[in-house]
Amino acid sequence: MEIKQRLMKIVGPERVADGAAEKHVYSYDMTENPSLPPSLVVMPQTLEEVQQIVQAANTTKTPLIPFVTGQSVGGLTIPAVEGAVIVDLKRMNRIIEVDEEAMYVLVEPGVTFGHLKKYLDDHHPTLRYTYPLAPPYTSVLANALLEGLCDLSTRHGAMADFINGLEAVLPTGEVVRVGTGASGEGNWFSRYPLPDLVGLFAGWQGMTGIVTKMALQLWPKMPFNRHVGLLCFGEEPTIRMLTRIARTQVLDDSVCVSTPLVKMVSGVAAPVELYDGEPDYGMLLTVSGNTETEVSEKINVIRRIVNEERETDSRHVLISWEGLMKLMGDQWGPFVDLPSEMYKVLAEHDGLTWVGTYIHPKYWKTVLEEGRAIVEKYGFELIANLKAMKGMHFGEFKFIFRFPKDDDTVKRVRECNAELLDLALSYGAIPYKTPVWAAKKLQERLDPNFVMLMRRVQRALDPNGIMNPGRWGLDERD
Amino acid sequence: MKETDSMVNSEPGAHIEEWLHSCIRCGTCKYQFLEYEASCPSGEHFGFETYFASGRIWLARGLQTNQIQWDDSLLQSIFACTTCGACEVQCHAPHRGHIIDIIEDLRRIAVENVGALEAHEKFRNYVEEYHNPYKAEHHSRELVQEHNLPETAENVLFVGCTSNYRETQIRDATISVLKKAGVDFTIVDEFCCGSPLLRTGQNKSVNELMQHNADAIRSSGAKQVITSCAGCFRTLSKDYSELGLKLDVEFIHSSEMFRDLIRAGNLRVISSASDLNITYHDPCHLGRHMGVYEIPREVLSQLPVSVIEMKKNRDNAWCCGAGGGAKSAYEEMAISTGKARVQQAMETGAQKIVSACPFCTRNLRDAAGSDEIDVIDLAELVDELTVGRKPLSQSP
Repeated sequence: MEIKQRLMKIVGPERVADGAAEKHVYSYDMTENPSLPPSLVVMPQTLEEVQQIVQAANTTKTPLIPFVTGQSVGGLTIPAVEGAVIVDLKRMNRIIEVDEEAMYVLVEPGVTFGHLKKYLDDHHPTLRYTYPLAPPYTSVLANALLEGLCDLSTRHGAMADFINGLEAVLPTGEVVRVGTGASGEGNWFSRYPLPDLVGLFAGWQGMTGIVTKMALQLWPKMPFNRHVGLLCFGEEPTIRMLTRIARTQVLDDSVCVSTPLVKMVSGVAAPVELYDGEPDYGMLLTVSGNTETEVSEKINVIRRIVNEERETDSRHVLISWEGLMKLMGDQWGPFVDLPSEMYKVLAEHDGLTWVGTYIHPKYWKTVLEEGRAIVEKYGFELIANLKAMKGMHFGEFKFIFRFPKDDDTVKRVRECNAELLDLALSYGAIPYKTPVWAAKKLQERLDPNFVMLMRRVQRALDPNGIMNPGRWGLDERD
Repeated sequence: MKETDSMVNSEPGAHIEEWLHSCIRCGTCKYQFLEYEASCPSGEHFGFETYFASGRIWLARGLQTNQIQWDDSLLQSIFACTTCGACEVQCHAPHRGHIIDIIEDLRRIAVENVGALEAHEKFRNYVEEYHNPYKAEHHSRELVQEHNLPETAENVLFVGCTSNYRETQIRDATISVLKKAGVDFTIVDEFCCGSPLLRTGQNKSVNELMQHNADAIRSSGAKQVITSCAGCFRTLSKDYSELGLKLDVEFIHSSEMFRDLIRAGNLRVISSASDLNITYHDPCHLGRHMGVYEIPREVLSQLPVSVIEMKKNRDNAWCCGAGGGAKSAYEEMAISTGKARVQQAMETGAQKIVSACPFCTRNLRDAAGSDEIDVIDLAELVDELTVGRKPLSQSP
């Protein structure tokens, strides 16, 4: 029996699609990465269906690619090989459990940031999750698996750090649970002190199984919150101020973007340029506390650092949230509530991409300066995005491009991204949500034994090589 | 054809070309903005990316740039959409006001390349032969005799095919209201307005229909055309204009006429207290397509009924499921979409769903089945709860 018939038997014919429309639409994402159509798309609704799909794919040696809500990047859901089946998980969208005491939520793949925020606001108003600069309908589970960043990253790190545990269907069809949830229902309070097997799934881009549930840490919604803006000039002072402020540990989060992105949010039409005399970067810094005094003192810590920097260059300006709204417009309001809402300013064309990396703090300033020169050379809008990560243990760095997907522009974007990645890699940065082309560049710089270990783990879990084959550049069967 | 009626029509593909590079598939079109409730009936029913607005836009781009070739397997994702326009309300990208244009453009090209869906071709043939999509014997002008209407009048009641041949109680209620309010109106020899054809990519016959209707309206001497059909209202006032028709009349939906008649005292509301709870369903063609949300509510506010809004209302109203050729070609989707709307209405505790479109009324009633909620049109409710101005002889 062919895979299509097997899948139709599992989920019913109405949830299997192999028309030209599906093959086309699922062969792309929003980035410049090249397309390749799947052979069909299947839409399971239960764990049992996912398990049976994986078992069937093992029988027919059919590649499977997990897919959720469609805002995919990095070519991560574009087949890297012919004949792949996309497993669209968007209908597995239950918020299964919120544990108020241990502060975690257990979700299925189709739960999005928007849905989770609404659910928590309505039913658990004292708790919050954390939200990225991504469309509000992005999968919470997928973003955590892909180690993306969020609006608590300056305090807590990448989203994978929020995972308490997960349930997955292994490439060989077994259902496993990792983290404390392995000890029973309603007990997903931590991923430690067990061996940290979350690492077998986080960052693997779907090569080690299909994650069907995930327990994620929630946080108390603090009673007092404040946001301040910081407009600054020059890469070196900007990075220095951001680093100094982040190291004080007063921040919940920091977003530092080049001024054209600030202007986009403020309503300036594309293409947005930077003019002489304008600040180069704008930061949004978030603090919270249990009392107004605590918050005010945190702001004073920030103010002290900015004032010290102003002795060298008085153009740096710290602006209150109210002042920022007056200066930039009310459209900034939703951003602090749900950063995803700012994403709409990036929805200008059919293409959006970036090379996102995590980097050692000591190289942050240099890579920003040299990266800016590359972007300017290619003539793209200057949309740098920086975040101090995990109390300034490392930094996040990327240049975002919104672009029309015509052949010439796509070629230019690919060249620019390749140059930016080469730059970042030369300073030891590591890309996240890594496309295959970038993974191959990364492999050249990694210890060969690390790559060997990855390959060995992947093959141990997936002897038939059916799970998202080709990702991370691990396609050679030597 | 009158010389003034330049039959302008954009080339198939023009809208797709204009917005070729504008959608990154952020998914914002899928859900009610900030409320995170489902917004797209088609996407909810089928689930695959191809059934959401962004999928269709990407499909349009693929076809426009020859990345994919036409075949029959494309048709379902192109046509299984009610073109309700909810995606346009949610979208924040530059093309937000043009998604339905893109989808209808895609449908025109599909018809040119693969042909119309069988169900759609069937009603096109009926329109061409019987002047209505229901294969009903054409009889518009007979209503003039039946209701003793004048040959010419200030107003034309454009009845619309669904009212005229299926939901006749809406036609009769509308005529009754206009007569008892003393409105100077007539009914012309109307043909199908062309809406079912425009919505399903079968544009070629529309100019002929439009010209016939334009001539009939001109010959009536009317200054205003009233219709109780939201689909006709959109087509007459928006599509005809975009197709280049220059007709010196004003098109209004019957709800506006009802409101003005009540305000002017030409219709008097029965004053007895009522414990009737109703909820109002915004027809997509009246609401999202034409921006008329408050006028029907103003009418209802004058009647002795309690109006309880559904959670999804006005520009976020859930579609009835019938539009865009869905009822004829994708009955299962149309009914499941309608059932969802009926459920939303029942959650309000209302005894009746009141709509302002015969096609919505029809599909919601089909979807309601044996559910304990009635579906009626605004015209029926107005007719039931109003009387005409008192004759002078009875004035105090």
